[in-house]
Amino acid sequence: MPQLSELTAAVAAGKRTDTVRLTQELLAAGSAPQDIVEKGLVPGMAIVGEQFKKNEIFVPEMLVAARAMKEALKLLEPLLASAGIKPKYTAIIGTVQGDLHDIGKNLISMMWRGANFAVIDLGTNVSADKYLAAAKEHNANLVGLSALLTTTMPAMKDTVRILKAAGLSTKIMVGGAPITQAFADEIGADGYAADAGTAVDIAKKLVGQAA
Amino acid sequence: MSTPAITPFLPKWRGSLTDRARFQRQMHRQPVDRCFNMEFGYWDDNFKLWPMFRDHGITNNNDADIFLNFDRTAVVGSHWMHPTFPYEEISRTATTRVLRNGDGLIAEVPMDGHDTIPHFLDSSVKTPDDWKRVKEERFDRRHPDRKADIAAILRDHPANRDYPLGVWCGSMIGKVRDMLTVEGLAYAVFDYPEMVEDIVETSCVLVEDFLDAVLPHVAFDYAAGWEDICYKSGPLVSVGFFRDVVVPRYKRISTKLRAHGVDIWWIDCDGDVRPLIPHFLAGGVNTMFPWEVNGSGHPGESLDRWGPELRIMGGVDKMALGRGRAAIRQWVGSLVPYVAAGGFIPFCDHRCPPNVDPDDYLYYLNLKEELFGMRG
Ligand code: B12
Repeated sequence: MPQLSELTAAVAAGKRTDTVRLTQELLAAGSAPQDIVEKGLVPGMAIVGEQFKKNEIFVPEMLVAARAMKEALKLLEPLLASAGIKPKYTAIIGTVQGDLHDIGKNLISMMWRGANFAVIDLGTNVSADKYLAAAKEHNANLVGLSALLTTTMPAMKDTVRILKAAGLSTKIMVGGAPITQAFADEIGADGYAADAGTAVDIAKKLVGQAA
Repeated sequence: MSTPAITPFLPKWRGSLTDRARFQRQMHRQPVDRCFNMEFGYWDDNFKLWPMFRDHGITNNNDADIFLNFDRTAVVGSHWMHPTFPYEEISRTATTRVLRNGDGLIAEVPMDGHDTIPHFLDSSVKTPDDWKRVKEERFDRRHPDRKADIAAILRDHPANRDYPLGVWCGSMIGKVRDMLTVEGLAYAVFDYPEMVEDIVETSCVLVEDFLDAVLPHVAFDYAAGWEDICYKSGPLVSVGFFRDVVVPRYKRISTKLRAHGVDIWWIDCDGDVRPLIPHFLAGGVNTMFPWEVNGSGHPGESLDRWGPELRIMGGVDKMALGRGRAAIRQWVGSLVPYVAAGGFIPFCDHRCPPNVDPDDYLYYLNLKEELFGMRG
């Protein structure tokens, strides 16, 4: 039976065929799906996040690692669901209205999944109402907003305002190329992260506070 | 067809050298009469919003260069993908149409054609089989349109011209990203590295063919190219792939260029280019353009770090231009020692956005003349 550490290494290196094969072998050998996620895949994405923070790898390596993880999760998610195992925290994520950039948002979504959050991805061009409805429906601990255009920063601001006005306990995190900590503070977001590695640290901190 | 002549809005900066000699000397860190005076251009909105453009019928960047009386540059080159993909409709629903663009990307656009951005769905090149077909159809070295028209180049840009002329050395990876998409390129480098290498090789050979034809006949002053392969926090291509696959092609091209005395090669690449600088330099690409400060930091830091081999064109923080005159004075002032050292031509670090006050922009141009022109 393969070691969980082999799976971790395969995800971190973005080897999707190996990642899927090792996941299947671990399952066949009787590993619990939850262990495969928490002790195999999650540490793999954590390695990637750390390397990214230190500029040792860049977006392309992250994209292939995220793709490998996603394919393994496709095998595992149905098993986790049927066993009634749910991650402790739920996050909603999307790119704000008027904005179709989704590469950064997808990476954050994968990293959050990699940190064992249940992530509901609303896609791109998401209206404030849609975020609000999803946050309510899923009783989300965290809402993540992404914006890549200076022209969609106002939509981010409006979304934060509407979510805050609804009086939910959900924490709001923002990010994207033009977003800064100063802007996040100004619009009243609870958290900001400049990259996908930090986004995990901050998300954990925020939901820890919310819990 | 006759276009009415453009009456310059500003006088040309005084000088004793030709634009050509000045550019050559400045990029080689030799003494100059004054700094080369240029800007990268403006967003489309600036032409509608800024009174000086609107009231004088200035609607595009070429006209703006003449209007503001900048020093002149010109570039000649050949095709990359040719013919490009025909724009065509692939399917439609009641509210949207799915179209293919010139790069072969498939995008969804709203039916009413209202002013919105296409939503890209897919690329036409995903597998080695796709590439084989596209290569045969659109990257044929022998296509007659690729042939350099030497007589026309010399007619348009005679040997005794007084401005610097560049030769276009294309794109070895940025256009590949355009054709494959950012994610598509990341996956393809991982899944089909030989295919991506062959696309880069093809891009290189097309440039080499053009250079072989023109370099013996035309005395160029510099080479120019475009990659846009970085975003705000770093490269959009694997650095290892860039080093091992792209850089050797840059080397082949720069060897040809240098054999004909062309030793300045600038590449237009937005975002944080710093992780790629040692590789660009190793390939003979020695000038980074337009040096986006938000990604790459103060140009002086990298000029200090890399020494005389690195040159920068751009590096004036567009955000500082938007913050008003004190911020403008501070930023432009911080560039003085680097302009004096040579190898650095300052201008706004991308197209100047419309949030910059047009009067502040004129203040900025004036300040540049005061600090870097002969008027100070
Ligand atoms: C790829 C790209 C595209 C692709 C998008 C493909 C896709 N599926 O997303 C395409 C070609 C479709 C595109 C279109 C356009 N683009 Co574009 N695009 C880019 C580019 C080159 C890279 C963006 C990217 O994916 N980066 C990689 C990811 C990983 O980085 P990221 O998104 O910043 O995400 C990281 C962090 O910001 C953060 N993060 C991101 N989101 C979130 C969310 C949360 C909650 C958190 C915590 C963190 C976080 O973590 C991520 C990982 O580290 C940038 C260049 C740049 N400088 O950013 C331009 C850029 C963003 N685009 C730009 C423009 C202008 C456009 C267009 C308007 C162009 C046009 N005229 O057609 C359209 C707009 C479409 C629309 N309505 O959205 C400009 C924006 C300028 C401005 N001031 O607003 C840029 C900056 C290019 C430039 N230099 O001019 N683009």
